[in-house]
Amino acid sequence: MEEELDSNFKTVGNIRTEKSVIMNVEDCNVYYGDVHALKNVNMEIGKSEVLALIGPSGCGKSTFIRCLNRLNDTIDIARVTGKISLDGKDIYSDYINTSGNMDVVLLRARVGMVFQKPNPFPKSIFENVAYGPKIHGLCKDKNDLNNLVESCLVKVGLWDEVKDRLEDSGTSLSGGQQQRLCIARAIAVQPEVILMDEPCSALDPIATERIEDLISELKQNYALVVVTHSMQQASRISQRAAYFHMGNLVEVDSSNKIFNDPSHPLTTNYISGRIG
Amino acid sequence: MMIIIALSFLLITFLNFRAGRSKALKIRENTSIHSLPEYYGYYTAFWFLIPVTLIGISWLLFSESLITSFVLSNLQKEIVNFNEIQTLNFINDFKNLSEGRNITGEISLLLKEAASLYSYFSTVSNTLLIFACLSIGLFGFYISINKVSSVFQARNAIERYINYFFLASTCIAILATAGILFSVVFEAIRFFGVVDLDDFLFGLKWSPQMAIREDQVGSSGAFGAIPLFVGTILISIIALLVAVPVGLMNAIYLSEYSPSNVRAYAKPMLEILAGIPTVVYGFFAAITVAPFLRGFGEFVGLSISSESALGVGLVMGIMIIPLVSSLSDDVISAVPQSMRDGSLGLGATKSETIKKVILPAALPGIVGGVLLAASRAIGETMIVVMAAGLSAKLTVNPLDAVTTVTVQIVTLLVGDQEFDSPKTLAAFALGLTLFVFTLVLNYYALRIVKKYREQYE
Ligand SMILES: Nc1ncnc2c1ncn2[C@@H]1O[C@H](COP(=O)(O)OP(=O)(O)OP(=O)(O)O)[C@@H](O)[C@H]1O
Ligand SMILES: [Mg+2]
Repeated sequence: MEEELDSNFKTVGNIRTEKSVIMNVEDCNVYYGDVHALKNVNMEIGKSEVLALIGPSGCGKSTFIRCLNRLNDTIDIARVTGKISLDGKDIYSDYINTSGNMDVVLLRARVGMVFQKPNPFPKSIFENVAYGPKIHGLCKDKNDLNNLVESCLVKVGLWDEVKDRLEDSGTSLSGGQQQRLCIARAIAVQPEVILMDEPCSALDPIATERIEDLISELKQNYALVVVTHSMQQASRISQRAAYFHMGNLVEVDSSNKIFNDPSHPLTTNYISGRIG
Repeated sequence: MMIIIALSFLLITFLNFRAGRSKALKIRENTSIHSLPEYYGYYTAFWFLIPVTLIGISWLLFSESLITSFVLSNLQKEIVNFNEIQTLNFINDFKNLSEGRNITGEISLLLKEAASLYSYFSTVSNTLLIFACLSIGLFGFYISINKVSSVFQARNAIERYINYFFLASTCIAILATAGILFSVVFEAIRFFGVVDLDDFLFGLKWSPQMAIREDQVGSSGAFGAIPLFVGTILISIIALLVAVPVGLMNAIYLSEYSPSNVRAYAKPMLEILAGIPTVVYGFFAAITVAPFLRGFGEFVGLSISSESALGVGLVMGIMIIPLVSSLSDDVISAVPQSMRDGSLGLGATKSETIKKVILPAALPGIVGGVLLAASRAIGETMIVVMAAGLSAKLTVNPLDAVTTVTVQIVTLLVGDQEFDSPKTLAAFALGLTLFVFTLVLNYYALRIVKKYREQYE
């Protein structure tokens, strides 16, 4: 179970999506100093679908997801190679500064992220949601902004709970509310892809259910990539699933296939170990 | 002699330790015992050493005055017509004589007699002391070694004593602070017996020199401290205007932008800046900065005093840069990485993240740090003594010479002074004001910093 796969291992299953492609990852490798944390990952991410990332702790799920919006740039020792593109434009070669590429600020506006631990800014609830639109200048005037904030809070089902206390600090909400606030904050910049790194692991079952419902709703308009440790959750919410093992993308396929009839023995082991 | 005695007491302590331990070891041969044998050793040693130390210290504290009064009462008839000062001199002389030091003046028969009495009593006292220490220490040892048994919880006892030790050292620090505070308050009260509190706090004229003339003591010195407060605040504000922006940007650079190898060099450099003795800053201010400013002033047609508040404030600002920078660095680094990730993940640039998320989140802590720096600037003495003016002019012009509270305290107390003239007492009043002021400032600063820390815990 713990043995590494050999270096020219190829992902089994189907790395293509049935929907139209929004992001494409080719030969992606990540190194933290000498640690080779992600090995030769190839995969497509499709519009309007939820892709679940599963695998044992330390297998590189967070590393992978952080490649997709270049948040790994903030780690000094991290080095990313390969090609990742959004709508066909390479997201990692902005330094060449040709119009065919994309700068990191724009990228992160289009690929939003929700973190494991809810991390609202120590600002008011309103300001939390308005933060992104403000820095990107998405709203013409105050009215516009109010409407946008309201619609985002409505989408995450938080509006009724907070509409009378928009000036309260975002940190004064409960954990589940905070996480929904963070999702509202992410969708306020109107991204196309939303990355979620274990969005429910700090929440109780009821709050988790609300987030799961929310994910299912959001997938109509966004591409979602969700890391989770819960097999049940993954099978409930996702259309495709990817299994990582020690930096390798072992298998990626439709969730149906992965959770009922995985092809690779490592996937089988992991799935059965967790469910059975 | 004293050393030999002290060493032998230590030796006995060690022997007591061995005795306690070996008794415990012997018990352990037959049955199980509550604590490790060493603890029994510590326990018996402790009960010897602590009573001995306590008795020794208190004896030495009081014995000298006791012996002196014995000597004086034995010679009562001979010194009956001595006045107070003569008596004090006499005491000094015979102490010196008995300890074999040189004394000025002739050695009278009376003095010789007193000296021999003094050394006689001293010897008696020392012998008694050794005897008392030994007997009480050994008594303690006897009691404690009898307690050593398989059920006795020496480990817990030692834990308790260690607790007391720490408590005692804390008490020493607190008592010392309280002692200093009381003496300052006491002297200040005497000052306010002569000078009105209102005149002191709100008076606009400061010229303590007038009061030095004997026929006028306390009657007409001008002790209005406003010019000093204004001068102090003026210099502190200039210092903060230098230190806060530079220190803050410094901290932002170090914690957010600098590559780790730059940080590795820049941080220690800053700490060196913090380690420069203030006296060095003082002559830097007086010898380099002040003439430069004056020359510059002449060049552009401004008259800048060579003791200008500006020069002093600039140098003081440089001095507190490391303080501001390291405190801000702490609070900025304490803002969780998740805040940065959250903001960057929304497509904010680094500087937007810093401006809109990190600084607002760290603001209370930074304010706390600035207040601490302010209280440091207000209390700073060396630089102002060397480079600021002496004349208490009421002005807010930074190009003018001003004086500060600390400078005045120093000038009031330097040189020979009568210790009950209002002039000297004024120093205590100023000291008290300064103390209260920085105390309040520190209190709020620390509260803010603390509140901020809790926010993320
Ligand atoms: N900042 C970092 N510096 C150095 N090594 C790192 C860093 N972040 C992750 N790693 C290493 O990269 C590997 C993958 O880590 P990653 O965080 O992607 O795992 P994960 O699959 O998200 O695990 P988990 O389920 O516990 O979140 C691990 O071996 C980890 O030690
Ligand atoms: Mg992770």
